Amino acid sequence: MSTTNEKREEYRALFKNNVKKRLLVDKIVHIIIFAFVIIAIIPLGSILVEVFKNGITAISYEFLTATPGSIGTGDGGIGPAIQGTLIIIGLASLIGVPIGVMSGIFLSEYGDNRLARNVRFFNDVFMEFPSIVLGIFAFLVIVLILGHFSVWAGAFALALIMFPIVARTTEESLKMVPVTYREAGTALGLKKWVITFRIVISAAKGGMITGILLAVSRIGGETAPLIMTILGSSQFFSSMDVPMDALPLRIWRLSLLPYESSQLQGWGAALVLIFIIIGINLAIRYYFGNGNERIMKLIKPGVTAKK
Amino acid sequence: MTTLSETEQKITNSIDSQISDAISPVEKKFKMIAENVTIHYGNTMGVKNVTMKFPEKSVTALIGPSGCGKTTFLRCLNRMHDMTKNAKVEGKVMLDDIDLYDKSIDPIYHRRKVGMVFQKPNPFPTMSIYDNVTAGLKLNGVKDKRILDEIVEDTLKMAYLWDEVKNDLKKSAIELSGGQQQRLCIARALAIQPEVLLMDEPASALDPIATQKIEETITELKKDYTIIIVTHNMQQAVRVSDYTGFMYLGELIEFRETKKLFTDPKNDLTAKYVQGQFG
Amino acid sequence: MPRLIDPSLERLSAIMSQMGDMASECVSLAVDSYLEGKNTTDQVYELSDSIRNKYFEVEDLIFDMLLKYQPVADDFRMIRSSTEISYAFSRFGRYAYDITQVRDLFGDISECTNESLIEITKKVKHMINEAVLSFAELDVRRAVKIQEDEAFIDKIYNERLPQLIKSNNTKCALAEALLLRYLERIGDHAVFMSDAINYIVTGKHKPSEKRIASHTKSS
Repeated sequence: MSTTNEKREEYRALFKNNVKKRLLVDKIVHIIIFAFVIIAIIPLGSILVEVFKNGITAISYEFLTATPGSIGTGDGGIGPAIQGTLIIIGLASLIGVPIGVMSGIFLSEYGDNRLARNVRFFNDVFMEFPSIVLGIFAFLVIVLILGHFSVWAGAFALALIMFPIVARTTEESLKMVPVTYREAGTALGLKKWVITFRIVISAAKGGMITGILLAVSRIGGETAPLIMTILGSSQFFSSMDVPMDALPLRIWRLSLLPYESSQLQGWGAALVLIFIIIGINLAIRYYFGNGNERIMKLIKPGVTAKK
Repeated sequence: MTTLSETEQKITNSIDSQISDAISPVEKKFKMIAENVTIHYGNTMGVKNVTMKFPEKSVTALIGPSGCGKTTFLRCLNRMHDMTKNAKVEGKVMLDDIDLYDKSIDPIYHRRKVGMVFQKPNPFPTMSIYDNVTAGLKLNGVKDKRILDEIVEDTLKMAYLWDEVKNDLKKSAIELSGGQQQRLCIARALAIQPEVLLMDEPASALDPIATQKIEETITELKKDYTIIIVTHNMQQAVRVSDYTGFMYLGELIEFRETKKLFTDPKNDLTAKYVQGQFG
Repeated sequence: MPRLIDPSLERLSAIMSQMGDMASECVSLAVDSYLEGKNTTDQVYELSDSIRNKYFEVEDLIFDMLLKYQPVADDFRMIRSSTEISYAFSRFGRYAYDITQVRDLFGDISECTNESLIEITKKVKHMINEAVLSFAELDVRRAVKIQEDEAFIDKIYNERLPQLIKSNNTKCALAEALLLRYLERIGDHAVFMSDAINYIVTGKHKPSEKRIASHTKSS
């Protein structure tokens, strides 16, 4: 109450000056941020453009379904590689996702103790492991013991890469569900596992799926672990105990060959791989996408859709 | 001589009678009795040796400044503190004749006798209105659709929500307005057929019209349920409750019939608080 | 930190205290008019009118406070009793005016003055004084004195009325009857006032109506 009207006018004059400068600074920062975003997008965009440009000519029905032809010719295709990628991603997910989700649930819902803290720490470290190290590990543990390269080994290696990611994202998604829903469940006399599985997970679905997709996208492109576990082959899938082909491996092999036709096929394979990853993403988002607006509202209880 | 029917009469409805202090609450049956309840959060004492008796089929309000322990105390009545890691509850909480903190008691089973409504409406976001109301039943194994339908209609009517939603029970619960969501939560709590209803500032997140509806609901419900409500709105306590307990720094300072507590508080601290002289 | 209701409460207090002083003065002037044959009609009328205006002011203020602040506890009891007390003050003014009207109607009645009238007048003045002080200080011990005074006034009232029937001097008898009646009513309101003050302090109502009824019956 000691500020007089004159002083207030003084202060207001001050603000006016500052405001002009601040608006200018604001604009500049805006432009800088925008510029950086463009810089970030350009390489991404140009990669997509490049791959598309170079690879689109290779695509044909034969390309997508046939086995590789003799080296150097333009014959054959990447059929086995596509099949292999789908199989290996599927198998790895079958192993990695349940383990990851369960770990995530443990860490989030039952994880207020020392064991959980240690698990979380190791999980984070594990997530950063170079995939080649995990590949070597799978090699030692499965390939050497069994004596041959196999799909099991590949699935194992990829699952190892996958599950820390899934565990972490599952944990984070579950933690994002406000505690008040658990309280409501408790107050209704529900058992803890019922609350966790029927209420909390249901609310965290969006985040969990995003996490799983992230993991799938990651392993879809992993090459190093596959080199040491499934080795690669020119045949379609025959059994779990023999080597199998996969797109990353095929791309690698094709691009190292000096022949232009092989390189073209390599581009084609890369394009296919990108499409597959994008396709998985879109498909799952679409399937669960009906709940997409609701995912936002999960975060804020008591918020209405009406404006 | 006062007859039995007169003792049943709600004190808030009567004008100040000439026998003002003669009607003793002993004549009323107590649904819940909390005896010597002390609650520790880690090293701090949230609630200090509180004893309260809650008469049946009436509304008891708990008032007090922020941090006085009223919500902490409320939550011990349905063993919500089991969920909190550092919380330690001592004392007895009797529901009818059973001590809820007895070692042999299954808290999950007994929580169904004491329903709870929270401050911010929290209907399960991925479920429809119908599923929300039946959540406590379905997720506990009740499958008979006929019974579920009946209970949904019954509780939504009790919560004054039936008319507004009866045509679209499959609608997602979070598409309702705040006040409707809170009434949905009340219906959900009622669906498990509790005997006591605990309400933690049920109208504080709502606009005045919604608040009024909640208060009307409470006034109707007290005919069948024992209701304990924590509120920071003293006018609400006056409007809605029959008995009021004033808590301060974890202790129960005064507990009396609402009208008496607000017109003639015995304790100086109570007088100061209700008149807005602090906190 | 002052509460929103505090300025209103202070204003209420100020007006009530003014009313009290005015009521006291008003009644004193009025009784002097018949005891000493003075013409105080205009002054009394002014005072009574002012008191009445202040009564309306108080009522407005009270309902305003109820609307805005929903007072509880001490505030509530103070406000609730203020309706009764301010009404009592307005009644004092009104009866004082009625008393001066007696003198106007009957002319100079100073010769009618007698012992009982003098005593009763003293009591009334004392009682009103006690009532005003009791309210100002919220002192319920004065209530005892008020009740004693009122009991005395009732006693005289009940004794004198039958005697007046046998009086020879019609003018004096009628005048005295009217005066006694007004003084007795002033007494009643003073007791209501003390009950209201008692409610402020103790929170308990007293069944005054019954009490009044019971002792007016007995004679």
